[in-house]
Amino acid sequence: MFHLAAGAPNVFDGSANTIAVIVLLLEFGMLRAALLRAQIQLYAVQSLAVSVLAGVVAGGRGIPELFALAALSFLLKAVIVPMVVLRLLRDAHADIAGSGALGVASEVVLSIVVAAFGYFSFASLGITSSALPTTALSLSAAVVLVAFVLMILRRDVVSQAVGFFSLENGISMASLVVAAGMPLILEVAFLFDLLVAVIVFGVLMRVHHGQSQSLSTANLDRLRG
Amino acid sequence: MITLPLPLIQALQVLTIMVGAPAISGVIAQVEGRLQGRRGPRILQPYYDLAKYFHKESLAPEGASAFFLAAPLISFACYLAVPLLIPVLTTFPLPLGNMGDILGGGIVLGLASFIVAIASAETGDAYAQLGSSRSRTFGAITEPVVLLVVFSVGLLTATDLPYALAGTVMSGPEQIVRPAHLLAAAALFMVILFETARIPVETHSGTLELGMIEHARTFEHSGPYMALLTWGSSAKQFVFYTLFINVFAAPWGLATSGRLDAVALAMVSLFVKALALGIIVAVIDNTFAKLRLFKITEFVSAAFLLAVLAIFTLYLGGG
Repeated sequence: MFHLAAGAPNVFDGSANTIAVIVLLLEFGMLRAALLRAQIQLYAVQSLAVSVLAGVVAGGRGIPELFALAALSFLLKAVIVPMVVLRLLRDAHADIAGSGALGVASEVVLSIVVAAFGYFSFASLGITSSALPTTALSLSAAVVLVAFVLMILRRDVVSQAVGFFSLENGISMASLVVAAGMPLILEVAFLFDLLVAVIVFGVLMRVHHGQSQSLSTANLDRLRG
Repeated sequence: MITLPLPLIQALQVLTIMVGAPAISGVIAQVEGRLQGRRGPRILQPYYDLAKYFHKESLAPEGASAFFLAAPLISFACYLAVPLLIPVLTTFPLPLGNMGDILGGGIVLGLASFIVAIASAETGDAYAQLGSSRSRTFGAITEPVVLLVVFSVGLLTATDLPYALAGTVMSGPEQIVRPAHLLAAAALFMVILFETARIPVETHSGTLELGMIEHARTFEHSGPYMALLTWGSSAKQFVFYTLFINVFAAPWGLATSGRLDAVALAMVSLFVKALALGIIVAVIDNTFAKLRLFKITEFVSAAFLLAVLAIFTLYLGGG
């Protein structure tokens, strides 16, 4: 493992890893973004990156049904979901709702630690796949964990929704690695799961905003008689 | 075609940086002016400025020692020592090219800025001291990023000689798309934005003291000493650009032999690439809003993240 300078991965692995790294970086971007709108846009870009990764695997490994999945997940996650959430946000008239529990720099450093944990613990599992390099799997573990940090540290409904959606992005990236040949119907079922989540979070955002006139969840920890 | 002797090429590397640096600054200032809806200064304006400074008298504050006057000379010499170590014109190491590695170059650059900071601390001027203390503080924050970039270069090439990395990058497309290389290059780019006083808080050409870090340090210098400091800071910018272009991003167009035409072509291509990078930097500089001073940590933490991820992907074997 430590003979690092020995060889670079080949071009396919290198570019797949780079896309996976971009997905992780966008997750960090969501963690840092102060504007809720920017967060949702970053989510859309991240979904686009995951779809591109699916397309790369489809083209590079000859799995044509992944093209369908790529197109479907692009349509749903990069276009429809962000549009719906942005629309909800426009109705709420809130740009910035409740900052993080920590400062941005500390949040990033904390997430680096958490991501490193996910990264190396998944690497030590020794899962290999024919579709994508193992690094992509470790990166998707890091994406999932950073999404958790995002949901925990940001105190507003939109960030938590975006954290949940992007967690799903991390998981679909992991599924590209371990089960690239998974039947399309299962993948589609996952996407429908996401649709349900969007509806639930949409209702949550509306109800919460209607009750407390803000998107922040900071005042939810008090009991009301 | 004549083949140039190696020591001459080595001297040409330094001369290219020395003579070309003000032109790069001039083009950036021109582009910046256009972006802001002004006509912008002439491209040769930095040279006229230098000529003007060299003809002015120089004053030193009362009580300042000879070090105050020596500092501009030393820092200028430091900036011109770095081109000996990095691939400016050639792909093959020149006689003095293996004298120091990337860390060595970093130390020389750090020394230059340290010397200027000490000199400005001698003046007793509040703004100059403010600038030097700020530049030291924020320099310390960016240091870990630079170190991690150097580490990832070391892991990529099993050496930390800049020539080796440039050679590795040119060896094939799989070396370019590997995430570790891209991340380290992006982290270095962010450090360059910071070090050349573009982003995130400094105004590059403004006269507002509170927005200055690098420029505040030189307040008390005048005449030829001021000229050397100004020249030095544009040389530093060109050195950083060269480091980024010829080591990380695009080490193409360098001379593979000492033939005159190859070296001349390398000079031209270096200028073209540096101008392209400078225009990108100017666009970034004018597109993003400046941050509050204390948000520097946010900017640096982003660069740090990139550098750490580069190391991580390398250790996973997928970099």
